Amino acid sequence: MTGTTQEELTQRVFEILRDGLLDVGDDFTPRSNLVAAGLDSLAVTQLMLAIEESTGVWVDDSLLTPEHLESAESLASLVYRQLQGS
Amino acid sequence: MGSAAGLRGDLPLTGADCFLRAFDHEIRRMNGASHVSQLVLRLGPGFDALGFRRMVEEAARAHPLLRAPVARRFGLGPPVFRLTAAARCPMPRVEIHEAEASPAQDPPLPALFFSRLNQPLSLRRGELLRFDGVRYAGGAAGTDLAASWLHLLFDGAGSERFMRWLDECYRGQRRLAELPDPDEIAPDRSPKPSFGERGRAARAWQGWHDAMGTRPPRSLAGPLRRTPQALRYTVHSFSEEETGRVVDAAQRGAGFLTPMLFYLAAALRAHHAVFQARGVDAGSYVVPLPVNLRPKGGEGAVFRTHVSLIWFQVFPEQMNDFDGLVAELKAQRVAAIRAGQIENGVHAMDFARLAPSRLYAHMARRSLRGELCSFFFAFTDGFLPGLESFFGARIVNGFHVPPVPPSPGSCVALSLRDQRLNLTHVHQRGVLSERELAIFRERLRADLLG
Repeated sequence: MTGTTQEELTQRVFEILRDGLLDVGDDFTPRSNLVAAGLDSLAVTQLMLAIEESTGVWVDDSLLTPEHLESAESLASLVYRQLQGS
Repeated sequence: MGSAAGLRGDLPLTGADCFLRAFDHEIRRMNGASHVSQLVLRLGPGFDALGFRRMVEEAARAHPLLRAPVARRFGLGPPVFRLTAAARCPMPRVEIHEAEASPAQDPPLPALFFSRLNQPLSLRRGELLRFDGVRYAGGAAGTDLAASWLHLLFDGAGSERFMRWLDECYRGQRRLAELPDPDEIAPDRSPKPSFGERGRAARAWQGWHDAMGTRPPRSLAGPLRRTPQALRYTVHSFSEEETGRVVDAAQRGAGFLTPMLFYLAAALRAHHAVFQARGVDAGSYVVPLPVNLRPKGGEGAVFRTHVSLIWFQVFPEQMNDFDGLVAELKAQRVAAIRAGQIENGVHAMDFARLAPSRLYAHMARRSLRGELCSFFFAFTDGFLPGLESFFGARIVNGFHVPPVPPSPGSCVALSLRDQRLNLTHVHQRGVLSERELAIFRERLRADLLG
């Protein structure tokens, strides 16, 4: 998934969460707080596996701080940095 | 949120319910008790015992599931809650007992609560739930309240939601006419697999478990045996300062959303310390971790069991390095999720709906030579977060007491309440000597506090 922009990654993370992992309404946006939206240990690992499938990059749980889980946007930013460094 | 008014006829048990029903059957047959779980609230003064009793009765009248017998239709087919027969069954018991106030700052739990874990409830008579309250000095010095239920009416998360719901009805924030729909289950977003696919998934899960039998575990209690169930438990509440340290270490060591692996590592090493003191080789340590399958973000189901299991297996030689042990548990967890074992577990437990309980319990123990696992473990995170009072009394503390069969005979459960970590250790009488208990607690506390 080289050449992916951070905006595209944000959209991808947002769609995985909205459509596959979280039971959220229309008010869920790329800036919504993920823990408050129900992201838990299982969902976050499933998200990381989905991201790995589409980008080839595995983001270890230990890197996921509360700041990174602030929103789909901040999480995508972390993944993007990992992607750039890989 | 649905309406209980539409509930008629039979409601099938989930696969996980049937899995647990198999252990209820086994405990009933071998140990003379039931697979009973408990939720305990330690309340301050002002508990409205009469209001609580009335609310439980009204809920049970409006909601047949709370006293519905569980049986197979005509003795065949998947087991169901027989809602139409519920009206003929007794109301859930609410017994209020009186006791003198204790001068201790953190008074001991009533022995009555332990005994409730060891008395059978009858699935066939719809005895699914009971409450025991112990009022100190007529309630002026507080009340301890235990909800004891068969672990298929609720799981831990469901029991918390039920208690919250009762209190919301009491405070007029929710109406009995707006009862949670017991048929609500986690929505399945993927197309339903064929019977063959489900069979293959179930076999993959069984194969995963069977592979652990190449170096089978030995629990503290030893393999399944016919002995009276005599469970008791202790609860250790860490101070706010200690809790801050433990939670911080757990999140740093295992991950912000996966601190339970840190706690599990500590529980593993506590059991290992006892085996070492005995000079006995445990073979391996096999522990299931319940995974909540409710939709993430919604209110989630109240009734029935909505979990799958992740199995871990580690070996005595991995016990010396705590950080290495946490890393191993993390790797096994991700590998299991990657391999689809959570979904496979759901399909495997679904087959329990068709198999006789005795057969299913036998299958669960067969590959580990009579053992089910090394011990049970649960971390349920925040306990009734945001609920400050219950039926007029401040919630001083609260925690879960998971069910544990006499084999493996030991369970460690953790939860957080008001910035304090509660550690419940449930164990079968005779499984640990006083000296071993001291070793167990010392090791656990030392690992948690770092």
